[in-house]
Amino acid sequence: MLTVTLKPKKEIKISVEAENISADIFSGKTEKEIQSLVVWMGNQKTTIGELFSVKVEGSGPAADTKIVLEGDFSRVKRIGEGMTAGLILINGNVDMHLGAKMSGGKISVKGNVDSWAGREMKGGELIVEGNAAYYLGAGYRGESCGMRGGKITVMGNALDFVGEHMCGGEIIVKGNTGILPGLSNNGGKIVIGGNTSRPGSEMSKGTIIVNGKVDEMMPVFKLEGDEVVDGVTYKKYTGDVIGNGKGLLYIK
Amino acid sequence: MELLIKNGAVVDPVNGNKGDKTDISIKDGKIVNKVSSKATVLDAGGRLVMAGGVDAHSHIAGAKVNVGRMMRPEDSRSGISPRTKITRPCTGYTVPNVYAMGYRYAQMGYTTVFEAAQAIMKARHTHEELEEIPIIDKGALTLFGSNWPTMDFVREKDMDKLAAYVAWGLLASRGFGVKCVNPGGGEMWGFGKNVTGLDDVVPSFDVTPREIIVSLMKVNEMLKLPHSVHLHCNNLGNPGNYKTTLASMELADQVKASKNRQVMHVTHLLFNSWGGTNWGDFESKSDEIANFLNNHDNVTGDMGQMIFGSATTMTADGPKQYANAKLLHAKWSNGDVECEDASGVVPIYYVKQISVHAIMWAIGLELALLTKDPYKMLLTTDHPNGGPFVNYSEVIALLMSNKKRQEEIKTVHEAVHAKNKLPGLDRELDFSEIAIMTRAGTAKVLGLLDTKGHLGVGADADISIYDIKPDQIDPSVEHAKIKSAFSSAAYTIKGGNIVVKDGQITATPLGRTYWVDAKVPQQHHDEMMKDIVKKFKNYYSIQLANYMVQDEYVTHPQVIKAGSVPVEVN
Amino acid sequence: MTVITDALCPFCGCLCDDLTIVVENNKITDIKNACKLGSAKIMGHHRIEAPMMRADKKSEFKEVSYEEAINEAAAILFKSKRPLLYGWASALCEVHKKGILLAEEVGAIIDNTATVCHAPSTLAVHEKGLPTATLGQIKNRSDVTVFWGSNPVHAHPRHMGRYSVFAKGFFQEKGRKGRKVIVVDVRKTETAAMADEFIQVQQGSDYLVISALRAILSGHADVVPESVGGVPKEQLAKLVDTLKAAKFGAVFFGMGLTQSISRYKNIDNAISLITELNAYTKYVITPMRGHYNVTGFGQVCSWETGFATAVDFARGAPYYNPGETAANDVLMRKETDAAMIIAGDAGAHFPADSVRQLARIPVIQIDPYWNPTTEVSNVVIPVAICGVEVAGTAYRMDGVSLQMRKMVEPTLPTDVEVLERITQRVRKLRGE
Repeated sequence: MLTVTLKPKKEIKISVEAENISADIFSGKTEKEIQSLVVWMGNQKTTIGELFSVKVEGSGPAADTKIVLEGDFSRVKRIGEGMTAGLILINGNVDMHLGAKMSGGKISVKGNVDSWAGREMKGGELIVEGNAAYYLGAGYRGESCGMRGGKITVMGNALDFVGEHMCGGEIIVKGNTGILPGLSNNGGKIVIGGNTSRPGSEMSKGTIIVNGKVDEMMPVFKLEGDEVVDGVTYKKYTGDVIGNGKGLLYIK
Repeated sequence: MELLIKNGAVVDPVNGNKGDKTDISIKDGKIVNKVSSKATVLDAGGRLVMAGGVDAHSHIAGAKVNVGRMMRPEDSRSGISPRTKITRPCTGYTVPNVYAMGYRYAQMGYTTVFEAAQAIMKARHTHEELEEIPIIDKGALTLFGSNWPTMDFVREKDMDKLAAYVAWGLLASRGFGVKCVNPGGGEMWGFGKNVTGLDDVVPSFDVTPREIIVSLMKVNEMLKLPHSVHLHCNNLGNPGNYKTTLASMELADQVKASKNRQVMHVTHLLFNSWGGTNWGDFESKSDEIANFLNNHDNVTGDMGQMIFGSATTMTADGPKQYANAKLLHAKWSNGDVECEDASGVVPIYYVKQISVHAIMWAIGLELALLTKDPYKMLLTTDHPNGGPFVNYSEVIALLMSNKKRQEEIKTVHEAVHAKNKLPGLDRELDFSEIAIMTRAGTAKVLGLLDTKGHLGVGADADISIYDIKPDQIDPSVEHAKIKSAFSSAAYTIKGGNIVVKDGQITATPLGRTYWVDAKVPQQHHDEMMKDIVKKFKNYYSIQLANYMVQDEYVTHPQVIKAGSVPVEVN
Repeated sequence: MTVITDALCPFCGCLCDDLTIVVENNKITDIKNACKLGSAKIMGHHRIEAPMMRADKKSEFKEVSYEEAINEAAAILFKSKRPLLYGWASALCEVHKKGILLAEEVGAIIDNTATVCHAPSTLAVHEKGLPTATLGQIKNRSDVTVFWGSNPVHAHPRHMGRYSVFAKGFFQEKGRKGRKVIVVDVRKTETAAMADEFIQVQQGSDYLVISALRAILSGHADVVPESVGGVPKEQLAKLVDTLKAAKFGAVFFGMGLTQSISRYKNIDNAISLITELNAYTKYVITPMRGHYNVTGFGQVCSWETGFATAVDFARGAPYYNPGETAANDVLMRKETDAAMIIAGDAGAHFPADSVRQLARIPVIQIDPYWNPTTEVSNVVIPVAICGVEVAGTAYRMDGVSLQMRKMVEPTLPTDVEVLERITQRVRKLRGE
């Protein structure tokens, strides 16, 4: 097994774009090779070795690679982008686009994630023990699909637009979310443990389950009656009726 | 500056060269008889040499192209490359930024490209973008098919005033030719309606598409414009539309050409050669269209070939675009232009396993294979409607290799076997025919054959060299090499300068913008302007004085003189 | 005395092009046809007379030469790891082109003032497109005109007269009498006071109201509750009937819609409503753009970079993601380490956290006028006034481009000259 531990050498103020921090890229590389991988800080091209201390133990393929991020990564973006296998453990907070387009492997975060975590995710698993910001599991601007597969779990809260344009996969937010979760959804499942507002607008497919309170209900859902899901009784709605949507919205 | 290209296998159908080793001498941006011993020598090493590619129909600049960019950041984020010492950054696939537009055409060996549609009122925008497109020569066709003055003069049967209006409109838009899109339909779309055929009457203007087409052809020939009327037929994109297309093409017989070219160019015929009555019985009628072209010498067409994958449809055919958006549940931009025309932009994704898309794909290829004379069927993808122009090499390879076509047919929806003729067509085009469809033919159709589309003395020194040795390759079998070579020129020479080497941009000179300055008798102009002044006073939202594109927007003009009065010779 | 006719107004997105300007001794002495806002803009105020610099934000400015100021500006941008070039709305397209080139050269984020007004509209266009028309199309045809969260009486004084309400056109010979005017807003604005119908929506409820209208339009009135966003269902149903009955409807939306809760999703939803209305009759929708050429920046930036605004050139290739790459995104995260503010006033219009960051970092201002941005600047470079002293291109709110005239001779360098000189200096610092 390859274990790589990175730790910022000093406080990072200007965001670093580090799509090279990924099990696929680290596997098969020596400490020196990992240190010389390119990252960008603002408009400065630099390297992982310049910004982070790098400790490498063992070796192995991507699927058998573990990356441990110690310290403050709250200004490091695009970690695990496009990852297909392996494990990334983040012991603190992390910046935007964590695990964007990932298709396999697992990323686990002890702290909070900034916006667009799991953007356009296709597979694998993302676990966040803290909170998530905007556009959790959403798409890129203009795209018709956000998340297509995999699973995202947020133990805390998430802000607006959870799972926007979701086409597949599963998002679980144990806490509350901001407005318009599941906007324009075309598949997949969103489970919200706490409160939210305006869920499911423009849904054409997919499922949203809200276990807390809905502050404002979209006037586009048809109440179908009560239904029991996993032993819990919900009010079941279908919609968005405007586009004859087949989305399912369950509210406790 | 002198350049001598030695040892090239020159395919130049206009001058009867089918691949013989011929030297080409270049001086001051032109092809000459010979150059001095000081000339730089470029050894083509027996590789294929052709005139620079000429594209007669592509949406490269202006309002609707930019709308495409604005509504499709998901497209812009593909094809991104950073700036280099020579080039600006590039973005996009179906709607590239202005720099990518010029570089990518040059990288394919293309040196002249015409924007297919600009409304006069938005022509300033078109030219702002054309000015930023590097390397290639360019121009823009101006929309006249639903303009209120056009319809008024057609109704009044006043061809003198209509000719004066077209001449003035070309000047106002710094336009190259007369584009007519879904004639009458642009006005009808003003109230959300459309015309359904050649004889529907446009309310309030009391004219029919038939009358508009015939009148515009008449004045086009009165004005002796280099290009003919460039027609986007009514009913585009509707099953069964081949009948409207045939009826439109028949109108060409009513007008005599003023020059050695067609009187009507019907564009992106792929979208106009459809049989059936709905999407269920949808089928190809390319044979009917090709048959017409094979029996008439006054009409030309272009393919509008479809490329599987992402495309962005954009056209002045506003009602069609609304229908497309509805059908596809896609995002939709609309852009009506007061007193002139409509337009719309809708993204689309062409899928091999969707029967309608597969049938369409085959229709485009059939048009090229069934039309006997390649001068009558130009190679286009109606960029980016059928697909982005960067795929021309794919189309060339398909036309040159039945083997490739059969391989592709296996991967597309089986409907092509029942609804298309393509599976049974074994014609394979040769290098000369490809050179005609992409150079000589396009230049002839545009009326630019004196300086473009060939390599004879006096032509512009726009040349492409491809990494193929015509005498050592069997395109039918080695189609992958053909595709690769035509996608990335070994050399592109523009105006005598090497702008591409081994597929990489080496220089970015700014090309010229072609427009036509057509003269009419002063009295006709003055009479016409009385109507125009009234229209501006009452119906336009800008002042007449601010309408016309100013000289500052065309910094490298190439003005072609024309007109119904004797043309002054400079 | 010179009289300039058909001159363009450098104030709002209406870009009126019928002004008459009287000039005597290179001074404008009379303006005809302009509104009060336009006249005031043309007459100018608080011009900065000479380049100024100061070492820190607390010191007094000292007058310097253009060369000194330009060299210092170039040095600041050259050194910066996360520069921001912001503003552009009150400048001509020719200036935008130079600005985008400079952003490329120094690896900057370039963003424009739309970020605090209509950039949400652009985000909505990514989702749904924009079914629109030139303003003359509306003048000739519209029989229903809707102002949603926009107040032209106040912000676009000639809009209704020239294009949308009082104007007479080919199919609308009667002007005002031929048009039904509907205002939807959270309060009874001046425009609402003269409308045929006013629909008052609770603050932040636009999104819900639009969805309710769409539900009713699509035949699903049954799922709509008795009141949505403070509007009775009955009134919503009546509004849908009125909208459907139009032969040609035009909707104009403003910052009431772009800057309230749900922001761009309000526009997104409104565009869908317009698209769906087209199944019944003709409808178009147009953003009421503020500055006279804020539309132009979006156009130029789109064709040059592929993206309309908020483009990050840090890595040499354009990257676009508002929420991450817009001016306030990077300022509020304190990432921006140098800023150039040109033809826009960040000091006056940005949130306090952003302005505080501007106060911490080197700021270059390029502007004809003294404004709140000057107060946070280190280098101030005054320029000629676009559209008054400099001719060039601007785009009206409906995307029609026009050439603005020069009214008087400039006494200061133009934005284009200053940007070119900064760019040359940056190249020199880079050793080219």
